[in-house]
Amino acid sequence: MTVTDQSQQPTATKRRSAATDKKKSSGRMMILGFLSPTLLILIFMVAYPIISLIDYSFYNFSALNPHEGYKWAGLDNYTYLLSDKALWQRFIFTGKFVFVCVSLQMIIGIFVGYQLQKKFKGRDVIFTLLMMPMMLSPVVVGFLWRYMLNSEWGVVNYLISSVGLDKVSWLSQTTPALFAAAAADTWMWTPFIILLATAAFRGIPDTIYEAAEVDGASAAYKFFRLTLPMSAPVLFIALILRLIDSFKQYDLFFALTGGGPGSSTETVSFAVAKTAFNYFYTGEASALAVILLFIIIGLSMILVRHLNKMGDKY
Amino acid sequence: MKISTRLLSTTSALAMVLLGTSAQAETELTFVWHAGTCADALVDIAKDYPDKSVKIVPALVPYGPEWHNKIASEFAIQGDGFDFAMWDSQSTAEFAGGGHAVKLNDIFASSDVLSADLFPAASISQYGEYPDNSGDFYGLPMNQDAYGMMYRSDLFEDPAEMAAFKEKYGRELTVPQTYQEAAEVAEFFTRPDEGLYGWGQMGGREYDFATTASNSFLWSFGGELYNPETYEVQGYLNSPASIDGVQAYVDMFKFAPPGSGSWGFDEVNAAFQQGQLAMAMQWFYFNGSNADPSVNKFADGTSFGILPGAVGRDGLFRRQFSVGGQGMGINKYSKKLPELTKFMEWYFQPEQQKRYAAVCQTGLKSVLESDDWQSLNSYNAQFSTALQYLNDYWHLPQYPVLLDQLQEEISNAITGTKTVEEALTDAAKRHERTLERAGYEITRSDSTPEVPDQEITPVGTKEIIKVN
Amino acid sequence: MAAVTQPRSAYLTRWFILALLAAYTFYNLGPILWLLVSSFKGRADLFAMPPVWIFDIDTSGYESVFGVGAAAGTASAYGVVDALINSVVVSSIGTVMAVFLGTLAGYVCSRYDFRGKGDFLFFVLSTRMLPPVAVLVFYHLMFARLGLADTRTGLVLVAIFANVGLATWIMKGFFDGVPKEVEQIAQVNGYSRMYAFIRLVVPMVRGGIAATAGFCFIFAWNEFAFASILTTTKAKTLPVKISAASGATGIEWTQIMSAGVVLIIPVLIFFYLIRKHLLMGMTFGVLGRS
Repeated sequence: MTVTDQSQQPTATKRRSAATDKKKSSGRMMILGFLSPTLLILIFMVAYPIISLIDYSFYNFSALNPHEGYKWAGLDNYTYLLSDKALWQRFIFTGKFVFVCVSLQMIIGIFVGYQLQKKFKGRDVIFTLLMMPMMLSPVVVGFLWRYMLNSEWGVVNYLISSVGLDKVSWLSQTTPALFAAAAADTWMWTPFIILLATAAFRGIPDTIYEAAEVDGASAAYKFFRLTLPMSAPVLFIALILRLIDSFKQYDLFFALTGGGPGSSTETVSFAVAKTAFNYFYTGEASALAVILLFIIIGLSMILVRHLNKMGDKY
Repeated sequence: MKISTRLLSTTSALAMVLLGTSAQAETELTFVWHAGTCADALVDIAKDYPDKSVKIVPALVPYGPEWHNKIASEFAIQGDGFDFAMWDSQSTAEFAGGGHAVKLNDIFASSDVLSADLFPAASISQYGEYPDNSGDFYGLPMNQDAYGMMYRSDLFEDPAEMAAFKEKYGRELTVPQTYQEAAEVAEFFTRPDEGLYGWGQMGGREYDFATTASNSFLWSFGGELYNPETYEVQGYLNSPASIDGVQAYVDMFKFAPPGSGSWGFDEVNAAFQQGQLAMAMQWFYFNGSNADPSVNKFADGTSFGILPGAVGRDGLFRRQFSVGGQGMGINKYSKKLPELTKFMEWYFQPEQQKRYAAVCQTGLKSVLESDDWQSLNSYNAQFSTALQYLNDYWHLPQYPVLLDQLQEEISNAITGTKTVEEALTDAAKRHERTLERAGYEITRSDSTPEVPDQEITPVGTKEIIKVN
Repeated sequence: MAAVTQPRSAYLTRWFILALLAAYTFYNLGPILWLLVSSFKGRADLFAMPPVWIFDIDTSGYESVFGVGAAAGTASAYGVVDALINSVVVSSIGTVMAVFLGTLAGYVCSRYDFRGKGDFLFFVLSTRMLPPVAVLVFYHLMFARLGLADTRTGLVLVAIFANVGLATWIMKGFFDGVPKEVEQIAQVNGYSRMYAFIRLVVPMVRGGIAATAGFCFIFAWNEFAFASILTTTKAKTLPVKISAASGATGIEWTQIMSAGVVLIIPVLIFFYLIRKHLLMGMTFGVLGRS
């Protein structure tokens, strides 16, 4: 392990002395001591399950009927899944959902966060209140939106019809259901973006804006040329976190549509849950989970690499 | 640091106090069931169990997939997290087939009280027998249920309505005996501008919502889900009679509130309780609350009945609908079987079952046949009549997969993304694929019947048998 | 010219922004308000169309949540207090542990460069990528073998693993915001690195610890997927308990809405107390000091 103590950097150019070697070894101890509990728990709770998942994915078996045996399936589970058109439809639907959710949440979150960075009376209270959707139990969120979106007695259709528009059957048609679920997810998680964005915007020193104002910069210029680029790394982390989470979303669809009509509102995660716990096709569910995991990890890797580049820039 | 240290010490102290509180000295018999009146009734009755060292502990789950998943996942780890569970009739095959449920024949043999004869033969077979006709039982009819119908008798008895109906359709306005009649009555009462619709039914994608409803149509028109002898699904599930039935079901949505294609039992109840529906398909289970004026604004004008049948394309009349309710099964990994058996011997006595039957549907023959129970309310007598028209889907361990596939295709038919014929044909193909994957040999016949019911346990009659 | 039009367009922009903010506030708080109102409605009022604003206050939902009043002694009321205790114990211990571990890991990642640091941070983030449904079967089997099924200890482990990644990333950001000179000065004065960390650096990121704890608490308090499968009776948490709210007449909406209101209160109070810290330095350190 190569250890560089950053607080020693001013002296790093100096010749090595016995004293810095000692510091180095104490640093190594600190790294080891501070990281190992986290590493251990994650290996136990994450690495181990993932390795087992990959192992299971090569077998054909049901955890509910162990007496039927573990049949070696090789890549059969993967070829079966990847040749199934329904899976690709689920990926497309998941992609659409993630795209709608994440873009809505980022746009609204950045806009509201930008307004909230300015100090005004009662801001703290309003800020705390706006965080409420994020605090609500996801179980209740599902029921609450199902209640509000009911085509007959839902308050959403009531508001729509009271301004003279036609009622919408939100939960029994694919596209309205997509937007209904996206509205619920956006409602719940935009506060997360607002929180991070506000903090990021507030982290930009006033002197930078002052300098820009001296040069006669417009508000739009300040926002697009100063605020956004300077807070981009934080917004990017927020984006990654939301992307990961909305990719995994399935309980909202359980509550709102049950995956219907047909299977048109089933996300990939939904299919994993169904295959694993309803069908109890453990091998197939593991293979599907591995596919999903690889996609999420791949996407995140690309984004994190971008993030690191950005970190280098600023 | 101060904050976190203090927080840490406070929490750990709190934790110690709290963790130490759950000491138990008694035998706890834990059951899994979906929450509701019947689970409440069981717990309430169990409080009077003479052996006070035994306590009945509910582990309630929501109605829906979590219910099945909870039981199944405990069986998967062969755990004794619960001792007995109420599961849907069709799950018996899955859990007994997996070897997780206690075979009750052994208990019947050793118990003086418990025996299969305590329950109607058809009921214990529906809720507990696996494989079909084997005489091996894995479940007791704990809470029987059947698909039924509720309707607004105040509308049906309104002279103005009766006259208007007669003028339009040339016959008396009566509670429908066939789905063909039901469609006319539903059409008559469908008045969106008054906020009234003729018919309410479930079409939701969740769990078994669309399928239990559409199956009731499918069977009544003479269709079948598969051939249990040959395991053929193609030619049965998509037979002309099956298509007739599901088409009739899909057509009924024309007389139902828009958007009701995603409804489950709760939405149907809510709409009926608000006076939006003239007729609705609903489980008998809910009749109690729908007769309650504090729940249903129109309780006084509400009557309950048996679902219509249908005259099929062969001219025969059939009345068939989905069985509901739950059997009680015992976890093979429970370590408390002797205590549980004793409790069951007490619980399935007429005295306890009478109390239970006051709020839910018992499976005990002596109570079901008693005049006390039949005259308790307007629908109990009908319930015992309804029992003879019950049908159930596949009693196969693969039922969760088959159910989900059929749910999906029926849902496609409701929204019109596929025609009924396309949907059922696709479902049949997927079912056969699932069965073949599970190792079933499908024996192909040269031809498949137009009306499969004529070949598989025929129930068709020439006359329309009137009920209600 | 510019001097004449600018105030007018600025005025319009200002109103436009205010209108958008008002619309968002309505979208954000409307459902919360509707939840609160609905939690006091009986079944008949819940489904009334058009919605009723004046109705008989029905507190049966709250009675069911706490298992008192009319709901006392029913099967649904069984174990509500236990579930509440389980939720409090699991989420607070889980939060404290996750924040503690995240603080240690975050500090090291902020202050040292070591081989595999990037991989470690990514691995830590990947805990959030694992779809719970994918590993539930496995966890259930593993927990049963280890005797952790239906125990609080098992759920605490889940709470730690589910949150330690987030805690590490956020805490690293806060530590990045603390000047490195702090440790240098301490060392010049002869104090150990450990002393500097505990006595000097940690107090400086108190706010960060509070904020991180806030996030972790939300996730631990509301965790459902794992708890619903890994617990049966003894370790059942409140969200799992309330999800089983179906009754004589279908879904017990009043009870679910009431539970939502009850469940949000502890988190809301917590957030109100740490609101000042939330807006300080929540920058993951990418921007440097804030």
